[in-house]
Amino acid sequence: MIHPGVIPTIPAIDPNPLPAPYWVFKLLLLVTFYLHILAMNLMLGGAALALLARLTSSRHPMRSRIFLDVAKKIPTLLAATITLGIAPLLFVQVIYGQYFYTSTILMAWPWFLVLVLLIAAYYGFYFVAHNGKRRPGAAGVVLFLSLALVLLIGFIYTNNFTLMQTPARWAARYFADPSGWNLNLADPTLIPRYLHFITAAVAVGGLLLVLLALARWKHDPEYAAYIFRFGGKTFEYATMAQFLIGLWFLISLPRDLRMLFMGDNPIATAMFGVGVLGSLAAIFLMSEALRRQNIRMGAFGVTGVTAAVILCMSIMRDNLRDAYLKPYFHPSQFAVKTQWAVFPLFLGIFIGGVILWLVMLRRYGLFTSTRPTEE
Amino acid sequence: MNYPVWDVLFGSGLLIALVAGLHVFVSHFAVGGGLFLVLTERKARRTNDLALLNWLKAHTRFFALLTVVFGAVSGVGIWFTIGLISPSATSDLIHIFVWGWAIEWVTFFIEISAVLLYLYGWDKLPPKLHEWYGWIYFLAAFSSLVVINGIITFMLTPGSWIDVHKFWIGFFNPTYLPSVFFRTAICLALAGIYALITASVQKDPDLKTRIVRWGALWTVPSLLALVPLGWWYIHEIPASLFLSARGPMPTATHFASLAWILLAVTFALMLLAVFTPRRLHLVFALLVALVALGAMDSFEFVREDVRKPFVIENYLYDNSLYASSMPGDGGFTVDNLNNTGVLHAANWINQRNLTAGNQVEVGHEIFRVECQSCHTPNAYRGIHQLIEQRQWDPASVSAMLTGLSLMHNGVMPPFAGTDAERDALAAYLNSLQTITPDPSTFTNGKLVFTNQCSMCHQNQPDDPLFSGLDPNPQVAADSLKDLPSLFPLMPALKLNQTQRTSLVQWLNTQRPAGKPGAPPSSAAQGGN
Repeated sequence: MIHPGVIPTIPAIDPNPLPAPYWVFKLLLLVTFYLHILAMNLMLGGAALALLARLTSSRHPMRSRIFLDVAKKIPTLLAATITLGIAPLLFVQVIYGQYFYTSTILMAWPWFLVLVLLIAAYYGFYFVAHNGKRRPGAAGVVLFLSLALVLLIGFIYTNNFTLMQTPARWAARYFADPSGWNLNLADPTLIPRYLHFITAAVAVGGLLLVLLALARWKHDPEYAAYIFRFGGKTFEYATMAQFLIGLWFLISLPRDLRMLFMGDNPIATAMFGVGVLGSLAAIFLMSEALRRQNIRMGAFGVTGVTAAVILCMSIMRDNLRDAYLKPYFHPSQFAVKTQWAVFPLFLGIFIGGVILWLVMLRRYGLFTSTRPTEE
Repeated sequence: MNYPVWDVLFGSGLLIALVAGLHVFVSHFAVGGGLFLVLTERKARRTNDLALLNWLKAHTRFFALLTVVFGAVSGVGIWFTIGLISPSATSDLIHIFVWGWAIEWVTFFIEISAVLLYLYGWDKLPPKLHEWYGWIYFLAAFSSLVVINGIITFMLTPGSWIDVHKFWIGFFNPTYLPSVFFRTAICLALAGIYALITASVQKDPDLKTRIVRWGALWTVPSLLALVPLGWWYIHEIPASLFLSARGPMPTATHFASLAWILLAVTFALMLLAVFTPRRLHLVFALLVALVALGAMDSFEFVREDVRKPFVIENYLYDNSLYASSMPGDGGFTVDNLNNTGVLHAANWINQRNLTAGNQVEVGHEIFRVECQSCHTPNAYRGIHQLIEQRQWDPASVSAMLTGLSLMHNGVMPPFAGTDAERDALAAYLNSLQTITPDPSTFTNGKLVFTNQCSMCHQNQPDDPLFSGLDPNPQVAADSLKDLPSLFPLMPALKLNQTQRTSLVQWLNTQRPAGKPGAPPSSAAQGGN
C-alpha cells in the first residue's frame, strides 16, 4: 500500500533519449528564460507604470503623455514576452517534463485559463494602445483590467513552478481533487516569490521609462527629464522594496535550501552576493544619475547592472529548483543520443535567425534616430 | 498512467477540439494571408490603385490582430492543452522532435517580428522595403508550417521511424508531402476567404468588386486543387487505418463526407460572391468563413479519427500506454499491465489492493487511467448511455472488455490489466447504469446482433461471421454457446437457446448469396 505524500510518485522519464547532452538544454533553458523574463519585466512593469501615470494624470499633466507613450509599447512587449517564453517552456519540458506535466495537470483549469486570460489581456492592451488618446477614460479601465489579467497569469505561473518542484505534495492533492483545481496556495514561498518577481517588473518598468527618456533626450528635453525622474525614482523605490521582499522570500525557504545561498553552494552564494551588491550599486548609480541629470549613466549604467543582476537571479532560481528536486532528479538519469543530423541545423538557423532579426530592426531604423531608408 | 489524469466532467478531448479547431483556421490564414498581403501590395502599387492600397492597410491590421494575438496564443494553447490531456504523447513528441520545435520557434520569432514591422511600417517605410518585410513574414510563416507539418503527419504515419527512431525518417514520413501541399492549398484558399470579410465593409462598390475578384483568384483554384491533393493524401494513408471508419462507428467516414460537402459549399458560395461582388455583405462573408471552418475542421477530425486508438500510430495509445515494450517504457505497456496489473503498475492510483468491498472504487480509478482520455462516464462518449442502450449486464460488460481491441474494426485499444481488474472496471461501469438490464429478454435475432455482436462484427459480406459460422443452423446455434472456442478473443457472452436460434436465423437471411450456408431457402428454414 502506497501512502500518498510519504513516498512521492514521480513519473518515469520519457523513453526517448535526449537529442543533445543535458547541459545544452540546461544552457538553452537558462538563456531563453532570461530573455523571456527581461521582456516580461518590461511589459508588466511598463503596463503598471502606464496605469499609475494614467491614474495620477489629473494632478500631473505630463503623466498623461507617459500613459500614451508607454501604452503604445505594451502590445509589442507582450508579443516579445510570449514569443520568448515559448523556448524556455519547450526546454523545461525536455529536462523537467516529469515534474512540469504533473504539477500542470494538478492545476489544469487555471493553467488552461491562462490562454483565455492572455488573449483577453492582449486585446485589451491593443485597445489601450489604439484608444488611449481618444478615449482615455475607457482606455484606463481596460488597462487596469488587462494588467490585472497578466498579474493573475503570473500568479498561476508562480503556483505551477513552485508546485512542480515539491513532488511530495502532489499525490495527496491529486487524490483529494483530480479535477484540476489544485493551486499551490499553502506553499509559504508562494507569495514572497510572486511579489519578488512582480516588484522586479515594476523596477524594470522604471528602467523602460529611463530608456524612453534617453530616446527623447534631444528632441523633447522637458518631457525626457520628467520621465527620467519618474522612471528613475520608481526604479529606486521598487529595488529598495526588493530587499525586504527578497529577505521575506529567503526566510520562507526551508532552511537547507536557504543555506544554499549562504555558503552551502558556492555558485548560488556568489550569485546571491553579486545580486545584492549589484542591486545596491544600481540604486546608487541611479540616484547619482538623477542628481547629475546624466541620462546616459541612468540608461546604460543602471540597465547594464540590472541586466547582470537579473541574470544572477535567473541562475539562482535554477539552483533553487535543482536543490528542491535533488532527492529525485539527477542529470545522469537521462539517456543521451545526440541528433547530429539536425542539431547543427538548428544552431545554423538560430544564428541565421538572430542575424536576420537584427537586420530587420536595423533596416527599420530602430538602431538609428534617422528615418529608415531604402537600400 | 505515468501521469495523473485530469478529470474533466464533460470530456477533455472536447477542449483540444475547441482550441485546435479554431487555431488551424487562423494559423493557415496566417500563412496564405501573408503571401496575399505582399502580392496584393505589389499589385496595388503597380496599378497605382490607392483605394486597394488603403484597404490593404486596414486588412493588415485585421490580419495582424487576428494572427499575432489569437493565432499565436491559441497555437501555444494547443500545446498547453495536449500537455494537460496527453502528457506522455506531448513529452514523446517533444523529445523526438526537440530540434524541430526549436527551429519552428526561430521561424515563429521572425514571423511575429516581421508582421509587426510590416504593420507599423505601412506609413513609415519605402514601398520596396515594406514589401521586403512582407516577404520575410511569409517565408517565416511558411517555414513554420513546413516544420509543424512533419510532426503532425508523423503522428498518423510514423512509417519506418518505429523501427529506426531517426529524426528525418519520422519527419519526412509517408504523408509529409501530400499534407504540405494540401495544407498550402488551404492556406491560399483562406487568404481569399478572409479578404471577403474586410472587403464586405467597404463602401466603394468598385473597390469591393476588385477585392472579391482578386480574392477569388486565390480561393477558387486552391479549392479545386484540394480535390486531387486530398485524394493523394488519403492514398498515402494505409487503408487499414480507414477500417475503423466502417461499421457501426463511422465517425471518420461521416467527417470525410462532411468535409467534401462543405468544401463544395464553400466553392459554390465563393462563386456566388464573384458573380455578385457589389452586394457582398458582412454576414455573407462570415457565412463563407464559417462553412470553410466547418470543412477544414472536418478534415482535421478525419485525420484525428482514423488514428485511433493511437496518439502516435503503432507507438502510443490514446490512453498513454505504449504499443510494445522498449527500454525506458516505464512498464506502461499492455503486456506488462496484463502481467503485473494496473494497480501495481500505474502511478496515479490511490487504491492499491482490490477487495470485494472496493471493486467499484478501484474500477473507477482504472476507468480514469485507462479510458478517460477518450470517454466520460456520462457525457462525451459516455459509457453509461452505451451500455444502457445495449442492455448489457455485468457479465456482458466484463466479457466485452476482453475483446476491446476488436471493437469497431480496431478503434479501441485493448484492455490492459488482470482479470480481476477487468471485473472491477466492469463493476464500475455497471454502477453507472440507472436501469437493471436483463439481456435475456430480447429474442429478436436482429436485436441480439445489434446489442451483442455489432460492436465487432459487421453486416458485411466479408465479415468472418458469415464465413466462419457453420452452414448448418443447428450446429451454428450450438457453436455460439462457447464463443471463445470459436475465436479466443471473442467475449464469453451467455446467450440463451432462443437468442442463439433467432440470431442464426437472422444471420442466414443476411448471408451474401453464393457463400457457404448461404441460401436462406425454404428448405433450410424448414429444417429449423
